[in-house]
Amino acid sequence: MNAEVVTFRTLLIDDNEAFLTLAMHLLKTNPRIEIIGRGYTGFDAVRLAESLKPDLILMDLSMPGMGGLQATRLIKAQDVPPIIFIASHHNDAEHREHSARAGADGFLSKQDFDLTIDGLLDQVNQEMAHG
Amino acid sequence: MAEARVLVLDADEERAQSLRALLQFIDYAPVVQESCGGLATSGAKPADWVAVIVGKVLDESALNGFVDWLKRDHLHPPLLVLPEHQANATTRFDLHESACIALEMPLKYAQLNELLKRAGLTRMEREVLDTVASKGPTGNSSAVRRVRRMIEQVASFDTTVLITGESGTGKEVVARAIHAQSRRKDKPFVAVNCGAIPSELLESELFGHEKGAFTGAINSRKGRFELADGGTLFLDEVGDMSLPMQVKILRVLQERSFERVGGIKSQRCDVRVVAATHRNLEDAIVKGSFREDLYYRLNVFPIETPPMRDRLEDLPLLIDDLIGQLERASRGSVRLSAETVNVLRGYHWPGNVRELSNLVERLAVLHPGAVVRPQDLPSRYKPAGFEAAEVAAESSIERGFARSDRPIVSEIRVLDLLGTQSRPEPVLPPAGVDLKDHIEHIEASLIKQALAQSGGVVAHAAKLLNTRRTTLVEKLRKYGLQREDAEVGYANEA
Repeated sequence: MNAEVVTFRTLLIDDNEAFLTLAMHLLKTNPRIEIIGRGYTGFDAVRLAESLKPDLILMDLSMPGMGGLQATRLIKAQDVPPIIFIASHHNDAEHREHSARAGADGFLSKQDFDLTIDGLLDQVNQEMAHG
Repeated sequence: MAEARVLVLDADEERAQSLRALLQFIDYAPVVQESCGGLATSGAKPADWVAVIVGKVLDESALNGFVDWLKRDHLHPPLLVLPEHQANATTRFDLHESACIALEMPLKYAQLNELLKRAGLTRMEREVLDTVASKGPTGNSSAVRRVRRMIEQVASFDTTVLITGESGTGKEVVARAIHAQSRRKDKPFVAVNCGAIPSELLESELFGHEKGAFTGAINSRKGRFELADGGTLFLDEVGDMSLPMQVKILRVLQERSFERVGGIKSQRCDVRVVAATHRNLEDAIVKGSFREDLYYRLNVFPIETPPMRDRLEDLPLLIDDLIGQLERASRGSVRLSAETVNVLRGYHWPGNVRELSNLVERLAVLHPGAVVRPQDLPSRYKPAGFEAAEVAAESSIERGFARSDRPIVSEIRVLDLLGTQSRPEPVLPPAGVDLKDHIEHIEASLIKQALAQSGGVVAHAAKLLNTRRTTLVEKLRKYGLQREDAEVGYANEA
């Protein structure tokens, strides 16, 4: 197989506009990430996951209305669900465990998500391909 | 549900502004109000807020009524009370001290952050309890009856149990049922997902740490072994644990003692260990990624949770149970028609009960209170050709079938469409097969065919295979399929 970069069509979901702007800025130099949409609640995530069919959703854990955990459970029941990474300001074992329980494929700390997202993508993609 | 909003009831304008700025800084959405009048009747729900900060309130008399309204929801947020209410808050509001916490002034970022983190986690934990049954797996299939019998056999002893089974088959349900039927039932059940916690954090999570043990250890902290003292520790995804951690777990199982990270004092622990994994630990031993001695320590009483496909007769009971859980947790409701349940019986359920649970929750959100018909299901749950047949059936009905005939007509059609009878049955050669090689051969062959059919466009081939594009790219790498087999990249897919 060639070494071409595989681009992940990515949806960003967070109720914090400042974080969305920062994430768009930090991820725009990452050749593997193509931002195709953004939303502010779990409801947006469910709707946009269905209509835009992203490869990856980077989603906040706590949001008004519907949070990232419930949205993850709902999106994982759609046809060919995307990879979902939960991002949180709280980077501890318990938040990671709740994300895993909801069916998220990975957890990122909001402090350094731009630096750790590549490693997590490699890990998840390989696990999926090799069963 | 994970809520980001914090309600601030404070008529002290300057303090309210400080709170607003601090909450925004730590990634919460503050809702500041001077009075609580009307909140209970405004359509708001107590669970709309992760916490309520109570300061100077203009209508003091309405505050008690507001707190009573909050308490009606068992997932209600805690009150974080400012100095003017701290003297008698728990008595005045009739709240447990864990739900009525004094907030120190001047405001400290670390304290507020920790309290809100705890409030969010408490709610998530209660939601888990709402959805994980402790009575054991639901169903009457022989596979589930067998698991229930094994739970009964082992629960009353302190035997270590190893629960194996595919992801989503309900291993935690089995672990909780063992605990609930044991003499330890009034002591804690503490779960830890070893696969979700990075290896560098896992030791401290399991054994705790002393103050100053590492950067960031500003206080000493109990680990899960200590928290589970007298009760049951559920080590989920134990197969994902690193080899150095396996050595440490083995030692605790053998010696029943451990030290906190950075500590020198050995602590005794009275914990019953129930472990679980979706991995084949015998294979992992052969590959060198799991210790054989730990395997035998854990595998004293093995229980295997059956996959959904082996217990499809449990589907109606499971659906009822899952809807009941949603209703009890006030997370909506939905009904599935008999025809829909029949369609779901034809699905292969790779994600097992967890996948069913996600589907039911999705349907409850997208079709609240409605009766879900097969056409309302996501495509992957419907047999191939279902949509076309649906159109044909609708025409037949229009031609004169009575409405009451519809379920029977549909049921026959659905059963025909499941197509399992028409799929050729693979034949096992007398000498047997290498199952992994055989399946990989089939997979590689289907991928090549899908690529050929889609002109080498990976995204289209992925659609034919009902898999993710990125997963397919990895599989192409795995099977060494070359550039001429597939063109990767959006320019080609456009």
